[in-house]
Amino acid sequence: MNFEKLLHIDRKVIFVLMGVAIVIPLVFPFRLPVGEQPPTRGLFDTIDRIDPAKQALMVSTDWTPQTEAENQPMTVALIRHGLARKLRVVVISFYNESIPMANQAVMQVVEEYNSQAKNEAEKVVYGRDVVLLGWVPPPIVPILGMGQSITGVYKVDYYGAGTDTLPIMKGLGSYDDIGLVCAVSGGSSPQWFLQFAQPRYGVKIAAAVTAVSAPDLYAYIESGQLSGMLGGMKGAAEYENLIEEKYHVGGRQRAMEGMGPQSIGHLLIMALVIMGNVGYFVARRKAS
Amino acid sequence: MRGNVRYLAWAGVVVALGILFYSTRSTISHDPWTWVGVFLTVAVFSFLYRENRIYRFAEHLVVGVANGYSISFTVHRVIVPYVIKPLSAGFKALAADGPSLKLLDPNSSANFIILVPLAIGLLYFARFIPKYAWLVRIPMAIFMGYYTGQTVPAAFTGVVFPQLKATLVTQASFGGDPWLGVWKVLVLVGVLTTLTYFFFSREHKGVLKWSAKTGIIYVMVGFGASFGFTVMARISLAIGRFYFLFRDWLGILH
Repeated sequence: MNFEKLLHIDRKVIFVLMGVAIVIPLVFPFRLPVGEQPPTRGLFDTIDRIDPAKQALMVSTDWTPQTEAENQPMTVALIRHGLARKLRVVVISFYNESIPMANQAVMQVVEEYNSQAKNEAEKVVYGRDVVLLGWVPPPIVPILGMGQSITGVYKVDYYGAGTDTLPIMKGLGSYDDIGLVCAVSGGSSPQWFLQFAQPRYGVKIAAAVTAVSAPDLYAYIESGQLSGMLGGMKGAAEYENLIEEKYHVGGRQRAMEGMGPQSIGHLLIMALVIMGNVGYFVARRKAS
Repeated sequence: MRGNVRYLAWAGVVVALGILFYSTRSTISHDPWTWVGVFLTVAVFSFLYRENRIYRFAEHLVVGVANGYSISFTVHRVIVPYVIKPLSAGFKALAADGPSLKLLDPNSSANFIILVPLAIGLLYFARFIPKYAWLVRIPMAIFMGYYTGQTVPAAFTGVVFPQLKATLVTQASFGGDPWLGVWKVLVLVGVLTTLTYFFFSREHKGVLKWSAKTGIIYVMVGFGASFGFTVMARISLAIGRFYFLFRDWLGILH
């Protein structure tokens, strides 16, 4: 076998192989066990410990369409978990691009719950159980301002309704009334909360970030600054699985569905890396 | 090699046609916006073959749409509620009740105090008038001063001190699970040896050499982990796009 050829595979071949590796498990899906990592469990348990009578869950949706594949399932899973626990869920955003997608996620979960509700009491009502407060720039203003007054920063919600008139905001004054802020991010918004909100106001912070950002945040898990973390689509799949196991709340599990193609894609990359290295060493030995 | 590429390309086309044939049995989207999304997705994917005009068109379109969206969103969500409305209400209150100190209250829905930050912000546009271009330094100085004042202490209280504290190994580190203590020691060794590697004021000889060698192992493991996570992220993004094509457009997935 001519191993040197392995060093000169046309990149288009690799693209086609990767496309096939993703498409086939999508069209013919199979389910893999996803397990759970400690940071995922940490986030799940922290939300599970929030007292619905006293505190709310805040989800900061700081992602743009580029990272939708990873961050959208996280956003949906977090809202699902909050509502499953009968927590008030407050959604904010620091990026104007993410607002319509945050709204889509909120409405998706509201529809999911309401389509399965057996009676009026089980239904989720926007403005009472969940709210999208929208966007106030620049990020430092709402991050610091919410330590004093949430409705002072967000005077109206995404739909233009006065926040002081919304039932969900009754009793939600500042970070003191927020059990956890989870920053769903394709960038560095968890660090903003860690720098500006946590030292001053002592609020608990968690992160749900793209896989690219995850390595930067492990140090904050170790130090205990982050209560938990979801890293990439894998983290989102673990979280969807945990919610399904404990609360049996329905709805599409997009990250779980993506684990088949993700695993096959990883296997392909591993094979290519090994082949490339074998080719390199064989070529070097021949040259010497 | 070229023959192999051609063979694989044809195999790809056959697979794609097979999937499309399969999809005709299900519902292909009738939403024109989905088709626009499909066109743009395929246009961007075409870059994988080579740079081309359709890809460039998609790229320019994204830049234009993103800017237009940002500007209109900012006008509707910032300029109107935080500038136009308070000023408009302020003028109405002035006409109805005459001047009052309440009109200078920043928390009031009708106030003129917004004119101060508005005037400072407008100075950013002074750069377009060469004679007064220096005025742009005023908002920039305020902006930089404010952010530096906020960020420097926050970096210490939010990052440096907690991270230093977490690096320390104490007796308590071994109090619960002994493995946690072992990890703590490994983290401490990693921090010290990596710092040694980046210590350039002395030649890496003797103890320093072995410490730096250990440090570079930590650095490489870090790079490997980052690369692995990056691969995972990129594959996830590709999955997202294929989902869109196969679920939202072709309706193959449910």
